[in-house]
Amino acid sequence: MYNTLIRNILRFIGLVLLQIAVFDNLRFGSFVHPCVYVIFIFLMPFETPAWKLMINGFLIGFAVDVFNGTPGLNAAASVLLAYVRPFIISITTRKSDIQDKNEPSIAEMGLQWFVLYSFLLLVIHNLFLFWLEAFSIKLFGVVLLEVLLSVPISLIIIILLLYLLNPVKNKSNY
Amino acid sequence: MYNLFIFIKKYNAVILFVLLEVLCVIMVVHNLPYHNRKMASVSNSITGGFYKTTSNWNDYLHLKSENEMLAEHNAMLRSRLGYEYYENDSVIVDEMFSFIPAHVINNNTSDRNNYIIIDKGRVDGLEPDMGVICDNGVVGKVVNVSTHYASVMSMLNSYSIISCRFADNQYVANVVWDSKDYRFGLVKDIPSHLIINKGDTLVTSGFSNSFPADVMVGTIEDAEDTENSQFNTAKLRFSTNFSTLRFVYVVKNNYRAEIDSLCITR
Repeated sequence: MYNTLIRNILRFIGLVLLQIAVFDNLRFGSFVHPCVYVIFIFLMPFETPAWKLMINGFLIGFAVDVFNGTPGLNAAASVLLAYVRPFIISITTRKSDIQDKNEPSIAEMGLQWFVLYSFLLLVIHNLFLFWLEAFSIKLFGVVLLEVLLSVPISLIIIILLLYLLNPVKNKSNY
Repeated sequence: MYNLFIFIKKYNAVILFVLLEVLCVIMVVHNLPYHNRKMASVSNSITGGFYKTTSNWNDYLHLKSENEMLAEHNAMLRSRLGYEYYENDSVIVDEMFSFIPAHVINNNTSDRNNYIIIDKGRVDGLEPDMGVICDNGVVGKVVNVSTHYASVMSMLNSYSIISCRFADNQYVANVVWDSKDYRFGLVKDIPSHLIINKGDTLVTSGFSNSFPADVMVGTIEDAEDTENSQFNTAKLRFSTNFSTLRFVYVVKNNYRAEIDSLCITR
């Protein structure tokens, strides 16, 4: 219990720092905004209740916002992300598949599923984030372009980051 | 009453979702207009201190090029010593404007509304609406000031309008940003009879109290001719490279209060 709490707090601080100190400063052109703090919501255990997901989403989004000077922007997008997460999980898995699983990580669910899962969530998150930032229908083309370019790059960074932080042990050798 | 509890229990996720989203959107909308923008969250001491630390690390990586640039700038200043003099180490004074040097501690070029945080604040004499320039040209205007830090609305901001004129024929126009590329802006309100060429230079008009006249803004990159309107628009290449900005000067107008007192509509 305490282990999970401490791990979550460290994850929270680490991801916010990574987002504001590293990835907000990387420039792959003006249409690409890599998002890594969403890993925090991606990796919360399967049985986490919806309200807990959303409160956590709000907190981490708001933490990023405070440093970016955009109060509410990332918070709104990650609350939406937390809200749709249970639906995405239920359309990509069967109940029996996740009964004995703890959290939606690469190690437990496999890379292929994780890519699909985080791709769908990232599309929803980025679409809402960039649309709210633009705040007009006129700029919808730009928003779509931003989503189209940002999602694959965020996805690649997230997968690499997860492998870097907890490498999957190769079971076939033993 | 009981039914209400059942309802809340059943739809608690949806209700919480709607509440949080409304809260977020209110925050976003509340912060949209430039004048209402409370940059306190970014320029306060905690986040300011954090950005100062990361900026210190970054400064090490850029020391060499920074040195070269400062040496170049020193040489340029020394050549102008004839009509400017140094009052003390940090403030260069000419008659109407003083320049307060500052370090950029956080900078963004990829958002639709970009802000820069600098490490000078109220104690250094900064006030909102002061202009900010760098060695290469105009940077933006101070929006919000805290004790030791200030946030600057850079020209890369959809609320930024800078009054300029063409260096060779003195016609006045406005420079805005179209949220696309940090290297290019738009010159608006060019009288349509004016023939503009690629490479024409735009400098500040000096009408705004925030900037001295004749500070470089950029050069015309592409002139599009719209025949049916009274005013033309042209693409501008900023002379300031916003993505490598590290060292800026805040422009203090020593007679600002006096000039403002003459303006009736204030």
